[in-house]
Amino acid sequence: MDKVEPKKILISPVTRIEGHAKITLQLDDKGEVSDARFHVNEFRGFETFCQGRLYTEMPTITPRICGICPVSHTIASVKACEMIQGIRPAHTGHLLRKLMHLGQNISSHALSFFHLSSPDFLLGYDADPAVRNIIGLAQQFPDIARRGIRLRQFGQEISERITGKKIHAMGIVPGGMSFPLTEENRKALLAWIPEVLETARIGIGIIRRFQEEHQEMVGSFANFPTHYLGTVGPEGELDLYEGNLRFMHADGTILQDQVPPEQYLQWIGERSVSWSYLTYPYYKPLGFEEGRYRVGPLARLNVASRMKTPKAQEEFLRFKAIGDGQPVHGTFYYHYARLIETLGSIEQIEQLLHHPDITSTDIQLHGRWNYPEGIGHSEAPRGTLFHHYVTNDSGQLQKVNLLIATGQNNPAMNRAVLEVAKQYVKGDALQEEMLNRVESAIRCYDPCLSCSTHALGQMPMVVEVYDAEGRLLNSRTR
Amino acid sequence: MDTLKMQIDGQWLDVTPGMTILDACRTHGIHIPTLCHLDGLSDVGACRLCLVEIDGNHKLQPACTTKVADQLVVHTDTEKLRNYRRITTELFFAERNHVCAVCIANGHCELQQLGYSVGMDHVRYPYLFPECNVDASHEKFVMDHNRCIMCTRCVRACAEVEGAFNWDVMNRGFNVRIISDFNTPWGESTTCTSCGKCMHACPTGAIWPKEYAQGQLKKNPGMIGELMEKRNMKLT
Ligand code: SF4
Ligand code: FES
Repeated sequence: MDKVEPKKILISPVTRIEGHAKITLQLDDKGEVSDARFHVNEFRGFETFCQGRLYTEMPTITPRICGICPVSHTIASVKACEMIQGIRPAHTGHLLRKLMHLGQNISSHALSFFHLSSPDFLLGYDADPAVRNIIGLAQQFPDIARRGIRLRQFGQEISERITGKKIHAMGIVPGGMSFPLTEENRKALLAWIPEVLETARIGIGIIRRFQEEHQEMVGSFANFPTHYLGTVGPEGELDLYEGNLRFMHADGTILQDQVPPEQYLQWIGERSVSWSYLTYPYYKPLGFEEGRYRVGPLARLNVASRMKTPKAQEEFLRFKAIGDGQPVHGTFYYHYARLIETLGSIEQIEQLLHHPDITSTDIQLHGRWNYPEGIGHSEAPRGTLFHHYVTNDSGQLQKVNLLIATGQNNPAMNRAVLEVAKQYVKGDALQEEMLNRVESAIRCYDPCLSCSTHALGQMPMVVEVYDAEGRLLNSRTR
Repeated sequence: MDTLKMQIDGQWLDVTPGMTILDACRTHGIHIPTLCHLDGLSDVGACRLCLVEIDGNHKLQPACTTKVADQLVVHTDTEKLRNYRRITTELFFAERNHVCAVCIANGHCELQQLGYSVGMDHVRYPYLFPECNVDASHEKFVMDHNRCIMCTRCVRACAEVEGAFNWDVMNRGFNVRIISDFNTPWGESTTCTSCGKCMHACPTGAIWPKEYAQGQLKKNPGMIGELMEKRNMKLT
């Protein structure tokens, strides 16, 4: 029998300005998908060009890494600065930072769910791509679209009411915050709570209905076991702002608990791979092959023992029931997890707004350079984020390591694309259906690449099929 | 005291002999952009932003170093001058590495303000991207040469107000740099008194206090003029 050369299918979402990603699918000699890679070709060089700058500049520089989770970067950054200075933030500054961070997570989750993903659930995967977007949603479900947009606004308004700016996380500084929250703004934010709670509930209703009606697809969609990493409080409660690390094995046993984030390097290894600018992190004790773990909403809910607030806790128990004692591995459940976090964040915001000290002006303490090394962390919307700075004794950065969520999820994203491609790709034929499913697998992770945050319409893609010699066999652009 | 008569932008004005055209303009509320001039310091005519047109003189003259004279006819706001000011401003930005978005002085920078006021929406010249040192050796302050525009306000504030003579200028043209003592790290200076006057005098984010966060920098360049005024006050 003649040996058929293995083929490669390349899917390349073309993007507008920054960053782009492409997907290659490797076919084996039977024409079946054998490997998938989600390439991140975006290299912005933050770790390099920050060298020589002062560590105190990092909270201003690093939020520019991402326009959607700037607060998470700033939080990780100021924590690293505070470790260098050896100080803790001022009491109210600390509370306000939590508020800012929860607000940003809500904005980001609202964007991911209502703007980018809900059209798939409400209008259907087979709906005309021209209307399968937030505009099409607004035509058919105006109330839901409006609520989604307003939920995102609510998150941004928290930042705006404190700092005067919607984005870029101004005002979060080593030692606390630059701006207090006025009584007037506190009241204005509180007035939002009933509406956004209802929106979160509606979102949860949408995803639960979809899960029930499409049980088979949801259950099998990129369902594969990995380990998980997330941040928990002292009692194992899910915490987005602070706490210690918990690593969970794919079988549900806790591998490591209450690991201070400063010890991340002891447990997380990073390996560079030739096809991506992102490094491939892994859980060190299990090695590169076995140590693949996921971060983000699904991981956080899997590792957590409970939520901090009652409504989110109720939903959390429903989520846990899906796993029936095991972690929930189905990639699709990222959406559900995202909404449970949103609900919990709104409840926590309400609690914080009722905190007797929230409008105090005890917002900032001042420190100076004392130690050469600082590590800060936060739970960004997409997962655990680490900032690690090493300075000389003038405070100038000599080494910067940023371990971002999308990097940590990259190995799992490959796997998710592979699982989906196995299911939907037959030979080198490239069906629209298959592109949609691959796109939707990527969307579950909500990776912070501009290609995947295209708010309007489908992800633009170029799909190319190559044979082993690199000859183009088939090509499809949309 | 004698007064002279001169015309600025079509207006005849009484001015005091010995004052500069810039002084005359400021006394009469006429705005001319400046960068290297700072009240209280000597003028050096370095930045060329305050150039004015003088009838009968085919060369543009800096208002900060040109003295008034009787019957002088001066124009401060012509098409030609506006064009030159925009060119000069763009060249400042092209010459070193100014990244306003992440600069400590963002929102409190005279250069940035100037960019807005001359309507600079882009830079028409190629950026030079020189490799510049960041000297963080001083206990309190940072000197970031990336953001220095060589106005020498720090040099003059240090020499003329503090009397410490820590700062000086080295090399020429593209390689020109502000130096501490004999081009040694600022932290090793034997002359610097850590008074911070250079930081206040500096119009950009080139000299800034170390542990400050963005948005919290407050420079008070007016302090230099006030100090000098008080120093020259006659106490009876
Ligand atoms: S450091 Fe500042 S004050 Fe000194 S020359 Fe440069 S820009 Fe002017
Ligand atoms: S202010 Fe006159 S030349 Fe700079």
